[in-house]
Amino acid sequence: MESRRRRRGFLGLVSAGLLAASLGAHAETPLFTPPAPGTYELPPIQHVADYELLDSHGARVRLLGLAPGQVALVSFVYQHCTDGSACPAALATWKRVDEALAARPTLARHVRLVTVSFDPANDTPERMAELGRHLRPRSDWRFLTARSEAELQPVLADYGQDVLRLVGSGGERLGLIQHLTKAFLVDAHGDVRGIYGSSFLSPQILLNDVQTVLAEESAARRQTAASR
Amino acid sequence: MADRLLLLASLLFCFAVPTRADEPCQSPYLPKVTGQEDFVYVFTLGVEGMGDGSDKLVTVGANPSRPDYGKVVSSVSVGGRHEVHHGGFTDDRRELWMGGLDDSLIFVFDVATDPAQPKLVKTITTFTKDSGGVVGPHTFYAIPGRMLISGLSNAKDNGGKTALVEYSNQGRFVRTIWMPEAAPYGYDVRVSANLNRMLTSSFAGRANYMRKLPDLMGDAEAMKHFGNTMIVWDYHARKPLQTFTVPGAPLEIRWALAPQHYFAFSSSALTSKLWGVFRKDDGTFEAVEVATIGDPSKVPLPVDISLSADDHFLFVDSFMDGTVRVFDVSQPRTPTVVLEQKIGSQVNMVSQSWDGRRVYFTSSLLANWDKTGAEDEQFLKAFNWDGKTLTPVFSIDFKAAKLGRPHQMNFGSIDFYRGRVAARPSPASPQDVPQAAEGG
Repeated sequence: MESRRRRRGFLGLVSAGLLAASLGAHAETPLFTPPAPGTYELPPIQHVADYELLDSHGARVRLLGLAPGQVALVSFVYQHCTDGSACPAALATWKRVDEALAARPTLARHVRLVTVSFDPANDTPERMAELGRHLRPRSDWRFLTARSEAELQPVLADYGQDVLRLVGSGGERLGLIQHLTKAFLVDAHGDVRGIYGSSFLSPQILLNDVQTVLAEESAARRQTAASR
Repeated sequence: MADRLLLLASLLFCFAVPTRADEPCQSPYLPKVTGQEDFVYVFTLGVEGMGDGSDKLVTVGANPSRPDYGKVVSSVSVGGRHEVHHGGFTDDRRELWMGGLDDSLIFVFDVATDPAQPKLVKTITTFTKDSGGVVGPHTFYAIPGRMLISGLSNAKDNGGKTALVEYSNQGRFVRTIWMPEAAPYGYDVRVSANLNRMLTSSFAGRANYMRKLPDLMGDAEAMKHFGNTMIVWDYHARKPLQTFTVPGAPLEIRWALAPQHYFAFSSSALTSKLWGVFRKDDGTFEAVEVATIGDPSKVPLPVDISLSADDHFLFVDSFMDGTVRVFDVSQPRTPTVVLEQKIGSQVNMVSQSWDGRRVYFTSSLLANWDKTGAEDEQFLKAFNWDGKTLTPVFSIDFKAAKLGRPHQMNFGSIDFYRGRVAARPSPASPQDVPQAAEGG
């Protein structure tokens, strides 16, 4: 019952985040203009493996599963999160990127959105499917979880996503998780090209970064082809 | 107890990070110890013939409710003397990096497994090679998944031309961004994520900072080789946008923290001035001299500064007169001194708690710049601050303890890593609820 109440509250926070973002886009003058795609570099920060997880149907899938010339935007969340500026904000941003991609099908073919729960005990495939239904993706957006915390641990370690499960004075789990809000831009080689915290979860920055990496990869492929 | 609850409140409510950071000057990207700190981690330079003579990380108890309050809890030597200086936590606050200005070694400590007993887990020995010739890793600034490091010098001529260098949290070199040709010096680097702006300041190369201070100050030619610029960058693009002339080596940078406070402070060491860098309505910035620090003709040598989390008070240490001056900066273009107090024969670093109630000072500047003889006091001194008065609460004589020269301080907390929560408290006031997380 408590779990259901928390998830309902969570979905409400996601919706509130979307509403605030749509209102804010018209109400406030942005404090800066993001640099244009291709005018800056995003060197590889770290390499991540492509782990097998569970999709929202319970099937085994690769977390990334990218074809050459594709990139993934990966965020880690959990559905008991009570901080609207954390997981709900990340999902609200992913939704805005999803809508932007839906309006740009040529670009959308190169981008996969991935939302991974770091709370597999509560966020089962069924609950991830429920989250997906709530967000109604219009682009390639996957909602993944794991069979267990043990299965997820190497994924979190590889990405550098810190997770601390809070316990009460008797050692009982509170169902709450201390974490940094992080999201990752990963290319088809498994190289992380961007890591984002909350204030840089701007759809425009994410889309610009995606285009910057894709343009670089495209240029590299052309150069390789020309040198043959 | 109330302070402890504030820490717990931050754990319960944010599960992300509060942003109104100055605890006292940490990157906005890492979680803050918003309540009572348990430990002060002190980067300490080794002194030949004193104890083991090695540089070390010294952990001091800082929580009055613990039996180790005011005592040295642990000490981890890194072996040898490297002119350890500054450092910083990774964005998850699990590791503490510490840089050596002389040989550019970087020491990485695990502070999460046992916050009372940090462990040296890694030494990066390839900083100069990785970076293409950067020397003297100075500021270690956490950004998501990475450490942004400002250099002071270069291997080619040990002069002031230098760069910004990035490593992943795992210790993998990411990239080098050289300072622009017209403003090649470096020192501090600080980011305002909300503005997508980064500020850098400028000091001097290894040839100057490793030299005996009296010799250096008597060498007119060498004294010309100090930085006199600050640069505003596009943070995300890592590209310089504006360069300001700020004479006399502008050192530490502190961005204001309150909402809609779009400015930063810095102090110039050789000219003894306080500077403000203000965002204008058109989005560009201007650098303005806003105050004089002591009597510049006596070269008080302003060093570290610390801005309170509410942007009200700026603590400014000056090394030569061993004095802290507390400025009321609530009107940031017209700061006024509200307290001037001698801390010791020399003083360098100042760190305040998140709530501004506790302030810590250390004595050492650089091994070759510290005073000599009886004036070479080496201490950590802790004070309480009530907005008007600094009241001493404990001090540790680092010479008597055979530890060395104490320099930069960072705060540690046991609860932060334990995940153990007694009860769900209510925030004491709206401002106790952590704000939206910063990142980028």
